[in-house]
Amino acid sequence: MGRYLLRRLVESIITLFLATVVVFLGIRALPGDPARTLAGEESDPEAVAEINAAYGFDQPLPVQYVRYLGKAFTGDLGTSPRTGLSVTDAIMHALPVTLELAALAMLVAILIGLSAGVIAAVRRRGPAEWGANSVALLGLSVPNFWLAQMGVLLFAIYFGVLPASGYVPFLDDPVENLRRMIMPAIVLGTGLAALIMRQTRSSMLEALTADYVRTARAKGLLRRQVIVGHALRNSLIVVTTVVGLELGALISGAVVTESIFVLPGFGRLTLDAVFTRDYPMIQGVVLFTATAYIVINLLVDLLYSVIDPRIRVGGAVL
Amino acid sequence: MTGVLEVRPLEPSAPPPLTRRRVLRRVLRNPLAMVGLVVVAVAVLAAILAPLVAPFPYDGTDFSVPAPAPPSPEHWFGTDELGRDQFSRVLFGLRASILVGALSVALSIAVGVPLGLLAGFYGWLDPITSRLTDLLLAFPYLILAVGLAVILGPSLFTAIIALAVGAQIPGMIRVTRSETLRLRGLDYVGAAFANGARDRTVLGRHILPNAVNAIMVQATLYVPAAIIGEAVLSFLGLGVRPPTPSLGVMLASAQPFYRAGPWMAVFPGVVIVVLTLALNLLGDGLRDALDPKESGRPV
Amino acid sequence: MTRSRARGAGRLLAAATTALALVLTGCGSIDEPQQPQQQSGSDVDSRAVKSGGTLRFALDADPDKLDPTVARTLVGRNVFAAICEKLYDVNDKLEVVPQLASGMPEVSQDGKTVTIKLRTGLKFADGTTMDAAAVKTSLDRHRTLEGSQRKSELASVADVTVAGQDTVTINLKEPFAPLAAILADRAGMIMSPAALSSGKDFGTAPVCVGPFKFASRIAQDRIEVVKDPNYYDAAKVKLDKLVFLAIPDDNTRFNNLRSGDIEVEYDVSVVNVEEAKGVDTMRLIMNDSLGYQGITINLGNVSGVGKDPGTLAAPYAGPLAAEAKVRRALALSIDREALNRSVFRGVYAPACGPISAAAQLSSDAAQACPKHDPAEAKKLLGEAGVTVPFKLSMVIPNSPDNRRIGEAIKSMAAEGGFDIQLEPTEFASALDLTDAGKFQSFQVGWSGRVDPDGNLAPFVTTRGSQNIAGYSNPEVDAWIKEARATQDVDKRRELYGKVVGKLQEDLPLIYLWRQKNILGVSNKVGQVKMYGDGIARFDTAGFVD
Repeated sequence: MGRYLLRRLVESIITLFLATVVVFLGIRALPGDPARTLAGEESDPEAVAEINAAYGFDQPLPVQYVRYLGKAFTGDLGTSPRTGLSVTDAIMHALPVTLELAALAMLVAILIGLSAGVIAAVRRRGPAEWGANSVALLGLSVPNFWLAQMGVLLFAIYFGVLPASGYVPFLDDPVENLRRMIMPAIVLGTGLAALIMRQTRSSMLEALTADYVRTARAKGLLRRQVIVGHALRNSLIVVTTVVGLELGALISGAVVTESIFVLPGFGRLTLDAVFTRDYPMIQGVVLFTATAYIVINLLVDLLYSVIDPRIRVGGAVL
Repeated sequence: MTGVLEVRPLEPSAPPPLTRRRVLRRVLRNPLAMVGLVVVAVAVLAAILAPLVAPFPYDGTDFSVPAPAPPSPEHWFGTDELGRDQFSRVLFGLRASILVGALSVALSIAVGVPLGLLAGFYGWLDPITSRLTDLLLAFPYLILAVGLAVILGPSLFTAIIALAVGAQIPGMIRVTRSETLRLRGLDYVGAAFANGARDRTVLGRHILPNAVNAIMVQATLYVPAAIIGEAVLSFLGLGVRPPTPSLGVMLASAQPFYRAGPWMAVFPGVVIVVLTLALNLLGDGLRDALDPKESGRPV
Repeated sequence: MTRSRARGAGRLLAAATTALALVLTGCGSIDEPQQPQQQSGSDVDSRAVKSGGTLRFALDADPDKLDPTVARTLVGRNVFAAICEKLYDVNDKLEVVPQLASGMPEVSQDGKTVTIKLRTGLKFADGTTMDAAAVKTSLDRHRTLEGSQRKSELASVADVTVAGQDTVTINLKEPFAPLAAILADRAGMIMSPAALSSGKDFGTAPVCVGPFKFASRIAQDRIEVVKDPNYYDAAKVKLDKLVFLAIPDDNTRFNNLRSGDIEVEYDVSVVNVEEAKGVDTMRLIMNDSLGYQGITINLGNVSGVGKDPGTLAAPYAGPLAAEAKVRRALALSIDREALNRSVFRGVYAPACGPISAAAQLSSDAAQACPKHDPAEAKKLLGEAGVTVPFKLSMVIPNSPDNRRIGEAIKSMAAEGGFDIQLEPTEFASALDLTDAGKFQSFQVGWSGRVDPDGNLAPFVTTRGSQNIAGYSNPEVDAWIKEARATQDVDKRRELYGKVVGKLQEDLPLIYLWRQKNILGVSNKVGQVKMYGDGIARFDTAGFVD
């Protein structure tokens, strides 16, 4: 275990290092530099050069990179040349929004995906399976900006039951916070629901034909108990898998949801940073999401060994 | 922009070989998959025949009449804000969307499968490809897609590359790799080696053909994801080059007209939903059909 | 964001009557659709407003640094209007009027010495005194700070001297008539010297004189300003707090206004204008932009913007750059009225020149407009001896709105014998490419300035800082220079008319339409103002009882 962990750790660090190099060089390969882009409609070549010099963007790339890395180690991700604000602060402001959105979306996905998956597995080859399948797949088949816009029109404007957008920190006003998060969470969650449905269904099917379940049934356990116990345990694995693999989608892929619901999260920060060539901001965001991805996948791997269904579920049921 | 998730191959034991005909029979027995198959076939046909079927050119503007105009006997799906016939544009849009879906997946197979095979087969290559896939997955997808669109300029070609590199190739590598690892450990591969088979023979004759099922399943799930992905790229202004329409471009440009011309969004919206839903149903049906356990009924 | 920038490239000024005047005097009659509810430059809503409350104002982009010296975005000017007053301002007729100054500048006989008297007893938001020394500190910072965006605006200033507690004297290198108008924008914003010398980045915590003072900012989300008790006219300020939100998507912004999640929307899109007419909980404040939108053609930008023009090489060279006839054919083939009617839902106005009819220095000559004539266009192409359809490439920003515009232009130009290849390009890359001269034509615009000099000098004078066309005409250079040097309004009007006439012959830019500044306002609030400069003012705004 210790050796395995050490190996994973080394691999993670290599990946992280590669990510910083790639983003560092990648964004500088894009046409346009931060100062000129910022200048937008008002451009003064002299001022542009001065700004690039002030932020060190005129230095040789290796020098810039080493400087950046050195500062990053101390937690200083630099200053946005666009706003003059600290990148670390901006990320810390965006983080709770994105985390909450991701968590709620996952909750929605689990509710829909898990029930659809269980139904599809238990009631095979019938209208119930088709219905469950279609509902879950529908989420995957609708562009989320469309779904989001429809939600706003319906619930915020015609019925007026939910706010159109905006973010209120959970600690300020939990009820208002949830009112504003519910639509974005559903929009983002429906896409993931189908993935969870598929996973749940196949693992349920596998389980229902497994020997130990037959044994359990033989011992007189109710089918319902088997299904529920199994489904719930399995959901844990499914969710960790999906979180691990879909984190990128949950963080940066949420950009559309975030911009329609005006949530000041990671997605918006990322997209605008690219469009304005805000180098320090892009670097900060990539460093952060890459780290998060790696840490979560490390945890997922560890969790697998802890909650392996065959061992745990088998032991519990028998 | 979901769709990165790979299908985890079902774990235990080697599959009893399924003949293609049996697979086909299973798909045909699955009513949902059948519906999907029919819809997809119709859509592909419509896309191919677009130039013949479309009553108007896709860029035929008309500034002399009020636009957007609602559906009428002349314009079945109404017209857009520049007076262009929406029905014709949907047909051509279908073309672009299906091309993006199919070609991005083809690209991800072309790149991902060889890398996955080699990584699974040659242990020393594994760390390199693993870092590569990790890197792609750890990198915020959107930055990658936008960056590519910025460098290459928004076009059909760019959308294909962005979707393949950002969303599909890492998954394709992983699936192929784990299939290869699994198959490599099986007795018959060992036997082939024992009989003095070369690496290339083993890879080509024993591993690849058996990994095809998993790859196909993954591919069928990526096609609809790519079509939706193209729509999202269009929403961000990174879709195909104007004046060519794609379903995503149409949907994105209909956005401001949700109330002034709802038909502008409704028709491409319905088509994209029906098409991707059909592809997903077909994909799931295929997946079930290829899964040996599906044959058994639950206890 | 891309969209708002690109679209932001174009707006400022004037009331609807003048829009109509433009139509009548300029481009022939257009089928003006019914005007939306409100057309006045300011909110004529006369309902009394009460003290207190927080007003949420949605901008179309996150402003850049809140430092008047380095700030560059149009949206940012809306924030400054609340927290940083200027030496001069514009009124609803677009006349320059004193703000922090106590009167209009006194210009010496030779035009090279300008004396400005200040209002007395004014305090910055930090409680320190606003005096001549502070004005000198601010102007000197605008002129000299590394990375200052105000340098070129103040390039004519030789030095600034304190001529007493409340008087500054500005010595000019050469006479410069647009100075007062320039001091009515960011170059005229006066910053607290105490805050400047505090060592903190001024842009993260700006301190000026204004009805509100900066409170906090979260990147990509919000800027909050609160009522400033130190403000000299604090009694007229009703709101406790003003929150600027960044909502880039047009529909989202409008939906938020409709649902009551914001009170004021900046830059209502043309499609939503139509819809707003049917909503009785809101109204629109609308006036003509001072800017323009059109197509810039690369004539001779060979070594980058601001450098000497030369002869283009492949693939950008060709008859489009070499022959004015071909450009005239292109201009004639585009139906400005149809463009406005279809793409802009009849809300904006056709434009044929860089100067808004609402501008004080506009004239009949400046509004002259050749008629749409695709047959003549084809004839001109024939005379030029080029193959028809004539192929050319046009860079367009990549938002759905710009895509729509590009597609409309393409299909119109096709009638005149052109085959336009549209090159949608992300805005930052488009700026990079076009600065470097790597383009044939570019659909772009300009937000506009109160003084026409700001719409002309950078764009069409030789080596101008934004002359991406690489255009150079000694006559145009001379006229623009002459117009700068004289304070005689009629003379300046005449000179700008001549410049526009010459531009319509040479066509480095084909001007196509003029946007409108459109503010959406909830009926819950009153006394919101927006003048022709397109900037919303909330100094007297409040919630109605």
